[in-house]
Amino acid sequence: MNASASCHQEPGTEAASSLAVDLDVALVGRPNAGKSSLYNALTGGQAKVGNFPGITVDLLEADVPLPAGGRARIVDLPGVYSLAASVDEASDEGQARATLDRLLAGGKPLLFAQVIDATQLALGLRLTGELLERGAPLLVVITQRDVLDGLGRTLDAPRLERELGVPVLAVSARDADVRARVLAAIERLGTRATDARAKPFDADALARTVLVDKPDAKKAELRRRERTAKADAILLHPVLGPVLFLGIMAALFSAVFLVSDPASTLFDKLVSLLSARITTALGDGWLTSLICDAILGGAGTVLAFLPQIVILTVALELVDASGYLARGAFLVDRLLRLAGLGGRSFVPLLTAHACAIPAITSTRIIRDPKQRLRTMLVLPLMTCAARLPTYGLLIAAFFAGQSALTRALIFVTLYLAGIVFGFLASLVIGKTVQRGGRSLPLVLEMPAYRVPQARVVAHTAWRAAKRFVREVGTVIVAASIVLWVLLKVPAPGAPAAVVGEPTSATTTMQHSIAATVGRKLEPITKPIGFDWRINVGLVGAFGARELMVSTLGVIFGIENAGDDSSPLVREIRDAKGPKGERAYSAATALSLLAFFVLACQCMSTVAALRRETKSLKWPAFVLGYTYVLAYVVSFVVYQGSVLLGLG
Amino acid sequence: MTLDLLPPKATARVSAIHLADAEAAWVRAVGIYEGETVSVLRRAALGGPLHVRTGSGGEFALDRGLAAAIEVALGDDGGAP
Repeated sequence: MNASASCHQEPGTEAASSLAVDLDVALVGRPNAGKSSLYNALTGGQAKVGNFPGITVDLLEADVPLPAGGRARIVDLPGVYSLAASVDEASDEGQARATLDRLLAGGKPLLFAQVIDATQLALGLRLTGELLERGAPLLVVITQRDVLDGLGRTLDAPRLERELGVPVLAVSARDADVRARVLAAIERLGTRATDARAKPFDADALARTVLVDKPDAKKAELRRRERTAKADAILLHPVLGPVLFLGIMAALFSAVFLVSDPASTLFDKLVSLLSARITTALGDGWLTSLICDAILGGAGTVLAFLPQIVILTVALELVDASGYLARGAFLVDRLLRLAGLGGRSFVPLLTAHACAIPAITSTRIIRDPKQRLRTMLVLPLMTCAARLPTYGLLIAAFFAGQSALTRALIFVTLYLAGIVFGFLASLVIGKTVQRGGRSLPLVLEMPAYRVPQARVVAHTAWRAAKRFVREVGTVIVAASIVLWVLLKVPAPGAPAAVVGEPTSATTTMQHSIAATVGRKLEPITKPIGFDWRINVGLVGAFGARELMVSTLGVIFGIENAGDDSSPLVREIRDAKGPKGERAYSAATALSLLAFFVLACQCMSTVAALRRETKSLKWPAFVLGYTYVLAYVVSFVVYQGSVLLGLG
Repeated sequence: MTLDLLPPKATARVSAIHLADAEAAWVRAVGIYEGETVSVLRRAALGGPLHVRTGSGGEFALDRGLAAAIEVALGDDGGAP
């Protein structure tokens, strides 16, 4: 990033930054008008997330040189339909409008570049009228000229320019000279005030006037509609459509994790290799443990998530830009509305069955802010892949004697329990913490099917990766260090290690702060069947759920329990309580499974929630409600199982 | 007649939008406004949204409850007046 790109500082430093940028250019337009393509063409994809006081959505901005030597800051705003109609301020559209108001009030030279999809000219021109009323200089950029050509129509841009009194450019995103033409037009227009302010016009009539039909226009339009209609007849079929949507999404979601798995494994191996080198160089000791277990371990977790984030972003961008995502939302909207969610919640809910972190990121596709927040709040209840080792361990330890079908049924019940409790939580949240106001009824544009632009997709993925490492990754590493302290540092008053005598991992763990906390928690967790050892396992699993098995392995003195859990299965099955009685039973296992399904045992999820909600309140709320819910359900399960003779 | 009752493939013209001012203004801004022609292409299963096409070239998924608040007028021939 160049020095002048950092012009968006706190308000007090704006005077200095105005030396670097001569002009702010706000890209405005309806959703799907082609703003992102134009932004990428103008900026070469460079972007930083702008710091606009009071604005909670990410606005991309970049500082670009103008042909004659000046500089312009291009700001890409979320899509807006109108500057006049009232919208929820927290929505993307509300945020875009708030940013426009701030830019207008900021006193810096400002220019609107309105992006209009040529195939929806009349709709775009309605917004043009409202922009002209704001008084800032306006450049109209009409995109999809090639698509319009394909429909047998041409745009009389000079006439539109005369009628509006502002410069009009007709471009196609694939034109090589888009950047040069638009930047030259921006420079020419500069800060010149528009002379067309508040001149009313009829958008429909004007669009009819400036769009000229070629002789075969009707035929071309009919052909296009036929192609779309044929695709829609299959993809939106009342029965086949939802089946195909579920199938395509499931395939896509599996592909994301299949493709990202080798990359995650590679990162894992690299981190292990580095850890081994450090251990060889520094020898065993607390410093090595801090570097390898806490810092590198945390970094390894971040790197393991990174391929998923990147590939999922690419997949979602492809589905969204092709026009299919809007159709999927159309198909499943009704079903999800029963649970207080909406059609666009489907993708995050599905993704959360692999991992909540990319799922939380993917809620950005939900336009309604209330629905988006509610989706994020219930995502941690979906059964992610990291829960599976613990499910496997407990089922192997306590239900090995049952038939394969019974064990499979337990697995399925655990998955379904996550979904059912997620939907119930959504309904309760809607009637309590999110009461008041209402979700936007579905009015969703169904864009024409399009081939996504590789460049736009690649830039989006790159930005998602950078953002994840910077904003979620740092929190994960910090939390990993805190957990290391809890699990490795002896609690005050614990017996000190004898000098010269090697201390085993199990001894260290037994005297750790986490073990002390685990013992102190026993009176609370006893009614749900957990002793201090399970409590310590749960503390360890807060770093990453898959660590539950290896943490229990250390507690029970089994090395590498994460790789082969069969000795641990025996230890857990035969574990004794303080009076020599059997410590755990099937009731304990069922209670722990219920707890594991429901509690948000994942610092990475908490970090991602903090990042996406830009608050501490909502991650705290998720931790609070999932732990209370987990405790209550585990209590019912444990006490009920004991009554049924499973204790 | 309201938009949710418009038979598939029939074209009509929006005559009134019976929603709160703010909501109506937003629906108009999106592209469904008095005087615009509309046709219902399909209905999602289980009382789900409508797939609507407008004369300006836009296609929308529209909540059925919302469509019930949009009044449309058919021409004498069953098409847009």
